[in-house]
Formats: sequence, C-alpha cells, structure tokens
Amino acid sequence: MEPLIRVENLCKDYQVTRRREGVWGGVVDLVKPRREILRAVDDVSFEIPAGEMVGYIGANGAGKSTTIKMLTGILTPTSGHVSVGGLVPWRDRTHYTRHIGAVFGQRTQLWWDLAVIESFHLLRKIYEVEEGAYRKQLDLFRELLGLDEFLHQPVRKLSLGQRMRCDLAAALLHGPRLLFLDEPTIGLDVVAKESVRVFLREIRDQLGVTVLLTTHDLGDIQQLCRRIVIIDHGKVIFDGEIDELRSRVGDRIKLTIELREAATSASLADVTGTMPVIWRAGDGLVHEVEFSRRDVRSAEVIRAVVNDRPVHDLRIEEQDIEEIVRGIYRRGDAKATDAADEGQEAGDA
Amino acid sequence: MHDRSGDNILPRRDTSWGRRLREPRRQGAIIAAYFAQFLKSRMSYRVDFVIDLTANLFSLGVQLTVLTVLFGKIDALRGWSYEQVLFIYGFSLLPLGLFNLVGVNLYNFSEQYIIEGNFDRVLLRPVNSLAQVMFSSFGINGLNELVLGSAVMIYAGGRYGLSFSAVDIMLLPVFAVSAALIFAGVFLGLTSVSFWFEDRMGLAPPVYNVIRFSRYPLTIFHPLVRALLTFVLPFAWVAFYPAAWFIGGEEFRLLALLTPLVGILTFTLAYVVWTRGSRRYTSTGS
Repeated sequence: MEPLIRVENLCKDYQVTRRREGVWGGVVDLVKPRREILRAVDDVSFEIPAGEMVGYIGANGAGKSTTIKMLTGILTPTSGHVSVGGLVPWRDRTHYTRHIGAVFGQRTQLWWDLAVIESFHLLRKIYEVEEGAYRKQLDLFRELLGLDEFLHQPVRKLSLGQRMRCDLAAALLHGPRLLFLDEPTIGLDVVAKESVRVFLREIRDQLGVTVLLTTHDLGDIQQLCRRIVIIDHGKVIFDGEIDELRSRVGDRIKLTIELREAATSASLADVTGTMPVIWRAGDGLVHEVEFSRRDVRSAEVIRAVVNDRPVHDLRIEEQDIEEIVRGIYRRGDAKATDAADEGQEAGDA
Repeated sequence: MHDRSGDNILPRRDTSWGRRLREPRRQGAIIAAYFAQFLKSRMSYRVDFVIDLTANLFSLGVQLTVLTVLFGKIDALRGWSYEQVLFIYGFSLLPLGLFNLVGVNLYNFSEQYIIEGNFDRVLLRPVNSLAQVMFSSFGINGLNELVLGSAVMIYAGGRYGLSFSAVDIMLLPVFAVSAALIFAGVFLGLTSVSFWFEDRMGLAPPVYNVIRFSRYPLTIFHPLVRALLTFVLPFAWVAFYPAAWFIGGEEFRLLALLTPLVGILTFTLAYVVWTRGSRRYTSTGS
C-alpha cells in the first residue's frame, strides 16, 4: 500500500554568513560577507504508513526541525521530493495545511493575548470546522487534557505545561489525520510530560492519527513509538524498530556480581573461560561483567559463576535506549562525537 | 481498529465553483474575526488608544496649518490655487488612511515575522499568507485620516465651487482604493526584500518620506522628479493624478483613469516578489 508520507532524497541548504569580530570586522562584513552553504538536511528518505507513530530523533542541529518544517510546508526544500497523501506540502500549502496538525514545542500556535477558548473559536473559523464536530472534538480534549481550569485564561498567563496541552488541542481541533510534533515535551516537568504522553497514546489509539514526533527525550520515544528514525548531521543513520536498534548495536548487558569471598577479576575470567565477556576490575567482592546478548545468554554466564563461586547477590542491567543511541552516534565519523555530547546533554536535561 | 482504506490519500483541492464562490466569504469571515479580536485586545489598553488617536489628529492639524500659512502669503502655487492644492492634499489622505489601516504590519514584518520566526505560524494555516500578515493587526489611526481627508476635500471643493457628477462620485472610491493599492504594492515590495536580506533594511522610512511629494501638484516639481514619481515610485498616482480628475485640467483626465491599472499592476508585481520571497524563508533554528 502507498505510504501516507513519502520522503525522497530530501535536502535543505542554508546560507550562513560568518560574522567577523569587532567594529572593523563589521565594516568588512558589509563589503565582503563570508557566506557558506550549510547542508542541514542531506539526502533524507523514509516512508511512513497511515496510523503509525514514528520518532524522529537526533542531537541539536541534526536537522530534525528542518525536516519537520519541510513536511509541514513551512520551508521549501533545496532538492528532493515529499508527498503526503499525494500532496506536496510547500506547493499545495493552503490546501494541505487543512489536513495536518502541528505543534512546535518552542513556540505556541495560539494567540498570545486571547483567551484559550477564543483562540479555539478563531481556529474553528479558519479550518471551517462544523459546529457539531467542533463540540465533539473540544469535549474530548477537555476531558483528555483537563483544559477546563484554564480555558478562559489568556494564553500568555498559562504555564508551559498548560500551554502545551492547549497547543495539542488546537492542532487537533479540525480533526487532522496527521500530526507533526516538534519537541512536544521540551521544558516540561515529569507530570506534564507524562500527561502529554498519555494524551498522544490516546489519540493514536482512539482517533488513529498518524504522528511524526521529534524529541530529545528518549523516554517519549520508548513509551510511544515502535519505530524510530535517527538523523545525524542531516543524514539518516538508522531507520527501524527500537528492538532492531538494540540488536544492531549489540544490546550490551551489564551483570554485577557480589561474591561472598574476595576474588580477582583474572580468576573470574578463568571461570567464564572462552565466553565472549569482559570483566571489569572489581574491589574483591563486587565485580562487573559485560557482554552482548547476541554472543552469550545471561543464564550461561550466571550459571558458570554460581557453579564455581559462592555468590551473595546478582544484578542485571540492560542498556537503555539513550546509551544505544549514543552508541550509534559514536559509530559515525569523527564529526559525530560532538553531536553525541550534545545528545547526552539533552538527555540529561 | 480504524478503517484504513483510503487513509493514504488526502483529499484534493476542491476546485468546484461552489467552493470557489464560498472561499472569499470564508476569507472575509476570518478577516472580520481577526479584526474583532484585535479590537478586543486593543481596548484593554484604553489609555494607549486615546493617546494614539489624539497624537495623530494633532499631527494632521499641524500639517494643515502649515498649508494654510503657506497660502496666506501666496495665493497660488505655479498656477494652482489654494483650493486646488488643498483638495489634492485632502484626497491624498484617503489612500494613506486606507493603507495605514493594514500597512503597519508590513512595516514590522521583517522583525516580527522573519527575525523572530513567527512566519512559521502563518505558513501553518490554510489562509493566504499575505492576508494573514496584513490583517493581523490594524492601524486604527487610518480612520482619522479618512475622516480628515474627506472633510478637507469637501471644504476645498466647496470653496472651489466644485460640482460632482454621478460618475465622479462613483470614481472617487475607486481612485482611493486603487491609490491605496499603490501604497500597499510599494511597501509590500520593500517588505519582501527582507526575505533576501535578513538584516533590517532601512528602505521603508525614506520611501515613506517621499509620500510627501505626492501631496502637491506634480507640475511644481523638476521634470526629473515628475518622471521618478510617475514611473519609478508611482506616488504621482496616489493623489495628484486621481485628484486632478476632479479639479485639474483636461490634460490629466486620461492619466487619472489609469490609476486603477497602476494600482493593480504595482500590487501584482509586489505580490509576485512576496511569493517568491516566501519560498526563501528559512525560519529560525530550533
């Protein structure tokens, strides 16, 4: 079946002017600006079938937002092709945007000075939503998002979490089949984040909306998407299911063993013999051993140790998705290392 | 489960006549709604509103006094009488007022929409992008100019002994709107330049000053200035030519009738530049 979203060899170049320092530099800039072409999105291709919720992830400046902006018709690509339900976003913009919803976490789509409900009324007019359908949607969102407490407040007075909930409702009032989300949980606290995630799951299951979601927060991805597309320096470096990503990177497992009697790592290495595992230096009682699930089963490692040594306690840790993604970045070229650092910072935030 | 048949295709644009006829009504309703919301939020800053109005009336009064004082000393300006000049001045306020109602958005466009990246939001909505920008706020002061302009024209026309035929009365609003389109076109063109050069271009204020030239009989200027105002910055058509239809000689009548054409041409040209510029919009990084 034809996918709902089809992206082919999409590229976007930006022209950036490098400014020189100081006053004299400013004068020189005026006469002879230093211009450079920066390729923000580089030959990106992917397809998304209807009804799927896909995570589009990458470090800061990897090209996530630029891609979303091309898919929503805001930016015109330098080259390449996009077809969403048979429409070209930037070419059919005024018609196309009737059928999509978009939320940009960094910037509200609502009118700053208007009460939330008035913004909704305006949107109803703009999208020509019939009264009955509008009521139904609004009632649903009021319930799912708990909008009632601030429906009559001006947008500028809302907290970030409240604003985000309103933005989500606003993006869906006209019943779009497609929703683009750019960092929908950015800056939100744990509770607000959770309510956004619950809502997104709800609309995916209840309304069958197709969602493309960019995020820094891999927690979002883990809870919402089965499939992810990872982009780095404008290029797609992974496209597939999260499970596949795990197995491709090696799916590292870390086993922490607490012994009853002190032992050296070397002696423990003898215990596991030829198994492809790595023993980390321990302090005598506590030792760590790492291996890949692909190479050896945890049960085998545990059995080997328990049969030979008195074990007090065991703990198994799987790599979380964040580490996996970091691993993917590291495998890229040397340039990718700073991207990985940024990703780490974002992950910590 | 949802029925997914046909989920992969979005409906095409409805090009039926019913739709085409309904479309202007929809756009009109949206603009009306924008206006209502604007008034609502504007009224919440009531003192601002009153001060603005007063200041504007004051500045118009000053201009009028200058004109009166000038003609107190000389009663004609290169063959143009006080009443004629005053009439042209009065007419010039009509398109200016109309333009100022929405022109303020073009003035702030570069900073508000391009540098701050708010154009994203405009492009996300299924409404013509220029209409959204132009009608996002309104310069209510424009109404003062419309009222004052009409008053001046009636006064000057009365003193001049002008009589309006039915055709004249029909042409007056057509000329005023066409002339406003010229303003809109010129400033839209300047605004669109900011899609190419993100640094703020200081072009609009000097051009705005040139408007002053349009308030006097064109024949008092050097031929070079006349040519400039007729062909390059067509401000001669925002007041002098159309006003001359009513109070000028026969030689200006044909030129006056060209006003709507010049208006449509200027605006269309600027709109093409705007459309091409929109495609170069780069948004802001985030």
